[in-house]
Amino acid sequence: MKPRDLHKGIEKGGVFRPQLTSLVDIMVMLLFFLIQSFSIEGNLVTPSTDLELPVSNATKNPEPFCNLHITRTQVLVDDIVTVTNEKIAASQDFLIPELFKMMKAQKAKNNDPLSKGKLLIQADKEIPFAIVKKVMYTCSKAGFDDFKVLVVQEE
Amino acid sequence: MKRLSFFKALRPSEAIEDEVELDITPLMNIFIILVAFLISMAIFTKLAIVEFSLPPNVDSTMNTSDQKPAPKLTVRLDKNYIGIVLGDALLDSLPVADNAYPFDSLAARLMVRSNENDYKGEIVVASVDQVSFKLIVHAMDICRNSGFEKVGLSSATSDPGAGQ
Repeated sequence: MKPRDLHKGIEKGGVFRPQLTSLVDIMVMLLFFLIQSFSIEGNLVTPSTDLELPVSNATKNPEPFCNLHITRTQVLVDDIVTVTNEKIAASQDFLIPELFKMMKAQKAKNNDPLSKGKLLIQADKEIPFAIVKKVMYTCSKAGFDDFKVLVVQEE
Repeated sequence: MKRLSFFKALRPSEAIEDEVELDITPLMNIFIILVAFLISMAIFTKLAIVEFSLPPNVDSTMNTSDQKPAPKLTVRLDKNYIGIVLGDALLDSLPVADNAYPFDSLAARLMVRSNENDYKGEIVVASVDQVSFKLIVHAMDICRNSGFEKVGLSSATSDPGAGQ
């Protein structure tokens, strides 16, 4: 389109109409992309923002169980900071008393027979196994016997 | 004679002159509403869960039997190597070069080992304290892909020969 054509309508005293074709093209492409990634169910579990989950080729869908987050600095149960990683690493004992108390309370709070004893762990991918090991040991002592780890599904 | 305005409007030369413009404003309105709705429902990162079992003596249901459990095929993740162990015997040792764990070699060796013997689809991933969690998850994936359905997680001592 010549630049003069753009002003043709205005010069004639008409209404200026912008070209919407390219915008419609982008909208259609965006629509296709979003329909492709559309999910009716949505994510039942919301990953924590302050940790990076490990990548895996596991395909099993997550379910909302009791949640435990191991970030790079601390351990959180239901978004409540329970103990710092520094303290866990410094401890010689496998059992973490603060976490044990919290998990006991969580176990007692849950009356659903389907999710009782099940724990969903969201751990940062760079966390050393020493921290994860102690957290799992403490949780198992508090009565949790079915562990699941949240991961990002590989493309 | 004066022509009727009806015929005047249908004159072909004038119809060609004025291009027909589609009014796409309602379409754009629908698009904008749809895009906002789809963005709210879109999943950009798909999540999944990895299931595993803990050793019986760590589990809350303690192993009370006096019998020694049968040794399971174990993948040992160390700082310097990946070992495939059965009981006390080290079957394979795959060295870590430039901080890159040889997971491709591990997959190949596990395929061989699973064909050699019937391990009932059970395997244990045992890691030392310093190994990062993503490597453990990756090792578990490889075990599962190699035909081992039941994957356990355990800890390994830094010095495996210390107890002997």
